[in-house]
Amino acid sequence: MTVLLETRGITQRFSGLVANSDVSISVGRGEIVGLIGPNGAGKSTLFNLIAGVYTPSEGSIWFDGEDVTRLPPAARCQRGIGRTFQVVKSFESMSVIDNVIVGALVRNTVMREARRKAHEVLEFTGLAARARVLASDLVPAEKRRLEVARALATEPKLLLLDEVLTGLTPTEAQTGVELVRRVRDTGITVLMVEHVMEIVMPLVDRAIVLDLGKVLVEGKPTEVVRDPKVITAYLGDRHAVGA
Amino acid sequence: MDKDFTNRRRRELVTAAIFAALAALVPLFVKDVYVQNIMVLTLMYAALSQAWNILSGYCGQISLGHALYFGLGAYTTALLFMKFGVLPWFGMLAGGVISAVIAMALGYPCFRLGGHYFSIATIVIAEIALVLFQNWDWAGAALGIDIPIRHDSWVTFQFTRSKLPYFYFALVLACIAWLVTWWLEDSKWGYWWRAVKDNPSAAESLGIDVFNSKMGAAAVSAFLTAIGGSFYAQFVSYIDPESVMGFQFSLLMALPAVLGGIGTLWGPVLGAVILIPLTELTRSYIGGSGRGVDLIVYGLLIVLISLARPQGLVGLFSRSNPKKAVSR
Repeated sequence: MTVLLETRGITQRFSGLVANSDVSISVGRGEIVGLIGPNGAGKSTLFNLIAGVYTPSEGSIWFDGEDVTRLPPAARCQRGIGRTFQVVKSFESMSVIDNVIVGALVRNTVMREARRKAHEVLEFTGLAARARVLASDLVPAEKRRLEVARALATEPKLLLLDEVLTGLTPTEAQTGVELVRRVRDTGITVLMVEHVMEIVMPLVDRAIVLDLGKVLVEGKPTEVVRDPKVITAYLGDRHAVGA
Repeated sequence: MDKDFTNRRRRELVTAAIFAALAALVPLFVKDVYVQNIMVLTLMYAALSQAWNILSGYCGQISLGHALYFGLGAYTTALLFMKFGVLPWFGMLAGGVISAVIAMALGYPCFRLGGHYFSIATIVIAEIALVLFQNWDWAGAALGIDIPIRHDSWVTFQFTRSKLPYFYFALVLACIAWLVTWWLEDSKWGYWWRAVKDNPSAAESLGIDVFNSKMGAAAVSAFLTAIGGSFYAQFVSYIDPESVMGFQFSLLMALPAVLGGIGTLWGPVLGAVILIPLTELTRSYIGGSGRGVDLIVYGLLIVLISLARPQGLVGLFSRSNPKKAVSR
């Protein structure tokens, strides 16, 4: 499996606070990788560094064989990194289809083609029936799906999902899990930040656990959940002894 | 689905054509010069407000300094004609290009400002330009420019005996501004602008160059505004800084769109049709002594609208759901 995304020794400081410290991870083509860890572990920072919201204080980010460390978010999207937002950022005054068309315009400059692509993505994500509804009228679970649809319309090689399954009902979460699987089946690599372990673990091929800004453990989900270090990070020392 | 959309687009175009045709017939029945004058101004402000709407309504960058581009258009045309004998048609084009370039030069620092700070900057810049023109001797300073009258003709775009040519030109101008907006609405620019307005960081994550999108909107908006200014200079044939670059023009360009529906295709037209006759009438009947009664009237209108119909008056015309007007 060839490497699609690689971070090399990334350190990110926010006026004295070290959010990420010497983080080196890699994501292979076609993988679903879960980025997990307790609150304040630095998951969101790492995520935003990969998406281009921040430029790291040290280290570099390589995507598809190219150094993208200094590229702004728009340029990274053009190179094939799509993302969703943890706090949904729909274009509220626009309809669902128009939201997705905005994404589709990255690769389709002719309006008719962008529109066709957008309809295609809405079918794929199960939002077709809601195409003409205003984004502001969607229920929360639909808004999450719209985030994914919009990012998919940019035809990414790597899809970054920021807690898309958090806060959903079990049924909604299950639909989400299936959607992520289908996304991967189309050949798109997925890197997802998640809080809810039970949902993520069966879904991902590999899990990377962050704690206190560093990579704590990395490996198969079944191994990772049993790792004493991970249990300590999540639950504290007392529980690690029993494990 | 796609058919739905194409049909709606076509319907809009047909509706506009019908309105334009009806408007073109009005002077056959209305011979009163005073009323014709109001009609010319109404059409001009419909065009200007449509231009303002591109930057401020669609792209969300609220400008309260569009008087600058209006004035630049008027001055470029008048100066080129008076000093160099350049026909107003070329002056109009030159004014448009100059304004677009200046809009981008000003946008370069200003688009880095967020929200209200951008609006404040536009006011300040327009006021500075006003003062500069008041002190620029070559351009007539505070006394202004009397555009030399040659003879009534479309070549020099001067008509002293009839207002009709101005009326028809203003109608064409309003139609052009509407058509440009209509076309932009279903272009990548239109989508970029609305995305930038709604959520800049999401727009960026979808590959949109937010800064360039704003620059594009500013250029188109300033170009069209300057054309309106050029027209105004020909129409009144006398300009001075206060009468083409005063702050009230910035307001008069923004208010029709706000009243009719900001960021909508029909908002500026609807707003201008209601607001401009109202302004002119209040000015001539109760204005008189002190300026500003007209401003009080539509200040009141704006307050009422923002309380009852924040999406603007176009919301009244959409079936059942007021939000449909802005959705597509």
